[in-house]
Amino acid sequence: MRKISTIIACLIVFSLVLAACGGKNNNGASSSPSASASTPAESASAPASESSDPASPDITQVKATISIYYPTPDLVEKRALEDDKIKRFNAVFPNVEIVKSDWQYNPNEIGIKMGANEAPTLFNTYATEGKFLAEKGWAADITDLYNAYDKKDQLNPILLDQFNIGGKIYGIPQQGYVVGTVVNKKMLADKGVAIPALDWTWDDVLNTAKAVADPKKGIAGIAPMGKGNEAGWNWTNFLFEAGGEIQKVEGGKVIATFNSDAGVKALDFYNKLKEASVIPADWALGWGDAVGAFAQGRTAMVIAGPDGPLDQGLNQGGYKPEDLVVYPMPAAAAGGKHTGVLGGDFLVINPNATKEEQEIAFRYAVFDYFSDKGLASVEENIKARKAENKFFVPPVIQYFKQDSEYGAKVKAVYDKYDNVYQYSNELMGLLDGKPEAQFNTQDYYAAMTNVIQEVFSKKGVDLKAQLDAAAKLVQEKFYDQIKVQ
Amino acid sequence: MDRSTAAPIRSLDEFAKRPPMKWSKHILGYLFLLPAVVIFFTFLWLPIGKGIVYSFYDIDFVKGDSFVGWANYTKIFKDAEVTVSAKNTLYYMMLGILIGFWVPILFAIAISEIRRFQGFVRVAAYLPFVVPLVVLYGLWKWLYDPVGPINAALEKLGFSQVLFLTDKAWSMISIVFMETWQSFGSAMLIYLAAIMSVPRDWYEAAEIDGAGVWKRIRHITLPAIKNQIILLFLLQLIATSQGFQTQFAMLDGGPNNSTLTYALLIQRYAFTRQDYGAASALGVLMFLVLGLLAVLQYRMSNKKEE
Repeated sequence: MRKISTIIACLIVFSLVLAACGGKNNNGASSSPSASASTPAESASAPASESSDPASPDITQVKATISIYYPTPDLVEKRALEDDKIKRFNAVFPNVEIVKSDWQYNPNEIGIKMGANEAPTLFNTYATEGKFLAEKGWAADITDLYNAYDKKDQLNPILLDQFNIGGKIYGIPQQGYVVGTVVNKKMLADKGVAIPALDWTWDDVLNTAKAVADPKKGIAGIAPMGKGNEAGWNWTNFLFEAGGEIQKVEGGKVIATFNSDAGVKALDFYNKLKEASVIPADWALGWGDAVGAFAQGRTAMVIAGPDGPLDQGLNQGGYKPEDLVVYPMPAAAAGGKHTGVLGGDFLVINPNATKEEQEIAFRYAVFDYFSDKGLASVEENIKARKAENKFFVPPVIQYFKQDSEYGAKVKAVYDKYDNVYQYSNELMGLLDGKPEAQFNTQDYYAAMTNVIQEVFSKKGVDLKAQLDAAAKLVQEKFYDQIKVQ
Repeated sequence: MDRSTAAPIRSLDEFAKRPPMKWSKHILGYLFLLPAVVIFFTFLWLPIGKGIVYSFYDIDFVKGDSFVGWANYTKIFKDAEVTVSAKNTLYYMMLGILIGFWVPILFAIAISEIRRFQGFVRVAAYLPFVVPLVVLYGLWKWLYDPVGPINAALEKLGFSQVLFLTDKAWSMISIVFMETWQSFGSAMLIYLAAIMSVPRDWYEAAEIDGAGVWKRIRHITLPAIKNQIILLFLLQLIATSQGFQTQFAMLDGGPNNSTLTYALLIQRYAFTRQDYGAASALGVLMFLVLGLLAVLQYRMSNKKEE
């Protein structure tokens, strides 16, 4: 009897081990959430360009299920737009079932999502993630689909290049930005501070911040981010303006270069901001904290992609468009470039999906692109916001070229409504977007965040020594592991 | 329970000498046990086992895992941040003992001595424990603000401003103060229950013999709750050694890694750097240390009981 009980117990344990371990499928061929409703990858592996061939089956009649990135419940208008798009898409692709996934891309979750095969067929991501996702094998190579796309030449190359890794395309651009400084003009005017010119410099920033800051009341002149990787990201704009680079590739190796003279100059500017007491005394602010402080009038300036602070300031802070001005990042000195980090939002296709699902996901992603229906949807959104006394803040960089025919059509719609925030032509002329580092961007940001926190929390910090230590750390820990082909 | 009236405890040898149990007789009992065993196996023992296995692998959820031997352990031993985080964790554990451990004991004793409004005070002391974490962090950020109420009070008293969260010397201390305020209520209830179970006539006898409040506490209350103190000491050590939530939410390990705890570093390795193998290796080391600590502590408490 004891033997029987031992055998049964062993069987239970063994079956549990099998059940727990068997869920993982690394080949990706049949593990897509929608695999049961579609043809296996192997049998549909013809390149997308061939799908338009008369001999190949009509893609609009394919039966498949795809899961798509769907806005979170708080974004009611965006959800309505997406629902409308799904409806119109299903009119053309009647056999496609679209499953809504409100999972928002998070670098801390993507590994688990891919491991568990729970990432949607089409998911959102940011500009920084292109190389990372491509190298990890977490973004499908959509070069064939892109080449077959009839409007590919009208896509904005500034954004598209972010996901062009080694000549292969891994993402579909949605919108982008160049980091700028959003200034609360009303706060300046209330204190009688002169409004600086758009073509401003670091000295202008410092002087304006000094004039408007009131530390005793907890009001800062400028709030550079000091917590999380955002701190390193914010500072990188100053590194670029000073003429510095994060890294360089030499002889197949990646070399850290942010500890250059330009780096010291940029860090010294942060030190000056700290010494002048123009940053918040409680400087440990992440993106949400800094932008929130801006919307609440606790800082007169914030450094970010302009649409975020504008949206919060106008729609939550109660400011009017004339109260808030978007400036380019300041030049290090008069006549210098107003370089800011180039960023954006992209859609990525899950490589675990079958080829057919990938094609349908691609077609879904670009379904409204360059279409009058898509534009009509945007107009409806603007109207809905107007009815709620809210403002519509368009992206600084669109998926299409600004000077294209479609760009002109979109501009005409924006011009019809007074609740659309308009970026000035002078600003657009001054913005100088620079893509982020290619390798281990987040690791570099994390290392720089510690340096910035040291500068903000201590007096008399040896700036060069701090930068050298951070560069050594990033070099040895991350860059030395990379072999550039 | 009076030991003399308790059922005698059988030794393991006696169990071994018993005739073999009939499987069919106990099948219902096994069936009742099965769900708990399955849940524990799936969600506790299996992940622990897998964690140990993962620590020897380079984990890639899509392309497949590859065996790397001790490479993950070598990597973490070379990482200066591991040393920093271990030191910070020990510092955090020490602060937890110095600042927080005695607070629930003190409150429990004080409340037990109160004759009126005891129920109200008990609820009031427990309330911070039910405050949602988002509210807690928001509230304490406001309290710790450079122009917030604590600093305003300090300035009125003639002290200079304290940067509770952004001054490296203060950041961990501030976190421990906040967590003590939030969590002392639950430990206090355990102590209070233990104190309330002490027969009142012991106190009355002590009073008749001329013992004051301090002597009653020293010679009756504290010895009576000794076991709870040992248990909660152990639990606090284990809890604080795994602390990362507040450090992550409020300061993300800053300023300049001064609140980077060991568990937060594991989280960074796993979810920021996507290096699950090294994160598992860190977890295994922590598991070993905590396991050793738990065994030592239980042995100590068992010896004292004997």
